[in-house]
Amino acid sequence: MKKLAILSTLLLAGAAFAATPKDTFVYQQSADIPTLDPGATYDTSSGSVVENVYETLVTYKGSSARDLQPLLATKWTASNGGKTYTFDLRKNVKFHSGNTMTCRDAEYTFERNLVTNSAESGNWFLSESLLGTGSNASDDKSITWAKIDKAVECNNAGQLVFTLPAVDPAFLAKLAFVGQSIVDSKYAIANGEWKGTEADWKNWVGKDLTGSNLSKNPSGTGAYRIVRRDANTLLAQAFDGYWGTKPAIKNVVFQIVPELAARQQAFLRGDADAIEGGGRAVDQEQVKGKSGVTWVDDLPNVNAGAVFMNEKIADPKVLGSGKLDGKGIPANFFADPNVRRAFSYAFGYDQYTRDVNAGKGKQRTMLLPEIFPGYDTKVKTYKFDAAAAKRYFQRAFGGQVWKNGFVLTANYRAGSTPSQTTMEILKRNIESLNPKFKVNIQAKQWSEMLSSARAGKEAMIRFDWVPDYADPDNFMYTFYASDGFYAPRANFKDAQVDAWLKQARTIPNGPQRNRLYSLVANRAYEQAPYIIVPAGVNYMFFRNNLVGASAANYNPLISFDLGTFWKNLSKK
Amino acid sequence: MLNFIVRRLLQVPLVMLALSLLIVGLTQLLTPEQRAAGYIRSDQQAARLEAIIRERGLDAPFITQYGKWLGSTLQGDLGFSRASGQDVTDTIRERLPNTIELTLLTALPILLLGIWLGTLSALNKDKLIDQILRVLTIIGYSLPTFVLGIVLLAVFYGYLGWLPGAGQVNVINQFSIGDLRRYTGLLSLDAALNGRWDIAWDVIQHLILPAATLTVVSAATIVKVMRNNMLEALTSDYVRTARAKGLSNRTVNNKHARRNALLSIVTLGGFLIINLLGGSLITEFIFGYPGVGLWMVDAGLRLDIPAVLGFALLSALIVVVVSTVVDILYGVVDPRVRFD
Repeated sequence: MKKLAILSTLLLAGAAFAATPKDTFVYQQSADIPTLDPGATYDTSSGSVVENVYETLVTYKGSSARDLQPLLATKWTASNGGKTYTFDLRKNVKFHSGNTMTCRDAEYTFERNLVTNSAESGNWFLSESLLGTGSNASDDKSITWAKIDKAVECNNAGQLVFTLPAVDPAFLAKLAFVGQSIVDSKYAIANGEWKGTEADWKNWVGKDLTGSNLSKNPSGTGAYRIVRRDANTLLAQAFDGYWGTKPAIKNVVFQIVPELAARQQAFLRGDADAIEGGGRAVDQEQVKGKSGVTWVDDLPNVNAGAVFMNEKIADPKVLGSGKLDGKGIPANFFADPNVRRAFSYAFGYDQYTRDVNAGKGKQRTMLLPEIFPGYDTKVKTYKFDAAAAKRYFQRAFGGQVWKNGFVLTANYRAGSTPSQTTMEILKRNIESLNPKFKVNIQAKQWSEMLSSARAGKEAMIRFDWVPDYADPDNFMYTFYASDGFYAPRANFKDAQVDAWLKQARTIPNGPQRNRLYSLVANRAYEQAPYIIVPAGVNYMFFRNNLVGASAANYNPLISFDLGTFWKNLSKK
Repeated sequence: MLNFIVRRLLQVPLVMLALSLLIVGLTQLLTPEQRAAGYIRSDQQAARLEAIIRERGLDAPFITQYGKWLGSTLQGDLGFSRASGQDVTDTIRERLPNTIELTLLTALPILLLGIWLGTLSALNKDKLIDQILRVLTIIGYSLPTFVLGIVLLAVFYGYLGWLPGAGQVNVINQFSIGDLRRYTGLLSLDAALNGRWDIAWDVIQHLILPAATLTVVSAATIVKVMRNNMLEALTSDYVRTARAKGLSNRTVNNKHARRNALLSIVTLGGFLIINLLGGSLITEFIFGYPGVGLWMVDAGLRLDIPAVLGFALLSALIVVVVSTVVDILYGVVDPRVRFD
């Protein structure tokens, strides 16, 4: 008994060390942090650290996804009809290495991103703006060192000058992307990275920087510097030489804990100030309302999901008989707008919101999150309407669809509950309209789906898009343009829509551009190229002694779950 | 003996070569798109699937891909592990000592407990103690590691708060361990050698729940095998002869029956240690323990080929070393076994 008492005392003494100190923020997540090199950062796990260690020229103003403000720049001017941008850079900014930031660092950063531009990075959209192509020099031989060198330069006044081949209203927003953070050129070169000259640029074309020396030993200008990183932990400390306001949180601990139950236990005991949750249903059940927990709901969500109806299905295997004989579908089944409208009326929007988002969601009018400029609330939306769906099916293909029926094969991404639920709702509703309608749904591995969809081989699938940068073009062109990212998957082509979208690419944000996006959205309502899946709303939770995370402070374009930078947090 | 050990170690490169051919060959059963998906972490990256295949040379002939891997490996470069965000060699160097630490704390209790309880059960065949032990063995044997781990975590960390949760050390010590001078790589030992007993104790506390999980699950197997071996030994001719000679029960059981029963436990113990050193995947996953097992779970799920190949090399080395030690122990337990 005495031994047991001693053991218990020892154990309790050890456990007492576990509470998180007031100047320390502890976050537990399941995902690893693949890279700390901004040039390779293109995932939220890496981004949530990099955005606190490095800084960009411009950043988002508070919670706004529309307004930008200077960060490492102090001001900028656009000239030459919007094709030249000149930035004044902040003085006396120190990197964690002790080096002072100069224009040369900014020039090196953007040139490095253009030179490397690996397929896994987000540098393609910077390259689109500055070189007129998203490819790197390996894939596009027209890219020369001279072009890269000319695209970004320092002038005699120490200003950074970008020269664009064409107007790009999204350019400033692209500079706010975490991947365009300014790196320490002297430090990088000393650590074996690209020398920043023509001499060795070709050796670095397309090079993956995920495990670069900069990733291993980062040096940014951010409020926090990395002090240690091992297999499961990343430690950061407030940077004494930071040019901005000194943060209240001195230490940040990122722990990788793959098991949700372990993270929940740590959070509820107060050993973690915030954690990566397990999805709304799980978090509402197991975390919300518990002692010491603050729950913030109804936050903006910038994810847009759609069911694609491929108008030119390239794979005979998913067509069945390939005819409208009740045993399959023709390759152009979805080319008839009546079919697309019928499917749009057959989807259970409210049911999806109930089943997937626990009732917290909203139906959008277009495939653009409502917090972006250009979103038009007045565009009509489809509602579940069995009678209307039946009416359109009866019109489709001169009545042949209704008369003969069809067998459709729709795939969903294996392991994705939202995708599975989407297809199950459609299947149930479509099959209830006519006993001759049959929808076969099947799970497919993501890797297979990626390649088959890109080759136009999938009849009906669901895809989602989250923004790279805060500009409506990143959604509108991506989804609706016939040469946009999703074009091969849906084969939707409307000459008028293309013209509007191209025109919008030349106009800065404002009423004229918004009008063009409204026109696209209204046309999309008529043509119904996609079923717009209702969007969920974001939420977050954290220990109630944490200050700085709030709805007013939440910006969905910041990678970190709490939607703000670490430097804005404190504890009471 | 030395010749025997050298011969065994010389097998490592051959085993590794065969394994690498097998693993790289198996990956060729996947399409380049499927392998490229392992590099993708967001829908955005998926936009450039073809470029990823091209840049990575995933559509190159098998021999080219294998040659590239072999060339780098021969230069001591095992590649970059996307699952750990580090070079494979750095990952192994960092994580293997953690797994060894867990193995050291686990293997001995498993073996001692298993041998003792197995013997106890056999010596009390069909008595109450035997019945109880047999039921407990079946429970331990069939209890999923995942369930047991979660229950222990919820009770001893979540509810009682007696033991720490996931990880290797608590938050405060996270900032101190970087300053420790590393002598052995084993954090608890190094902390003690640095005079930081608080950290050493913290590490041990973090190891208790993972070790307990492994002990319950693995000891059940040892108990079961030991019981069967003892029962067989107790009914054998040499035990009957020993008893007929008038030796005491204690001497017969311990020196004659148990010694022979231990032979297969040595082999089983070897497998156990190989498994533990190879990473106790599920246990490390539940407790977020930064060993090689946790790394391998992620690497496997993400088709992290350099990591899988690096891990295969490590496993081959562990298997050869441990089985060599087992063979040597055979000679100790049973003097009839000799090495040429």
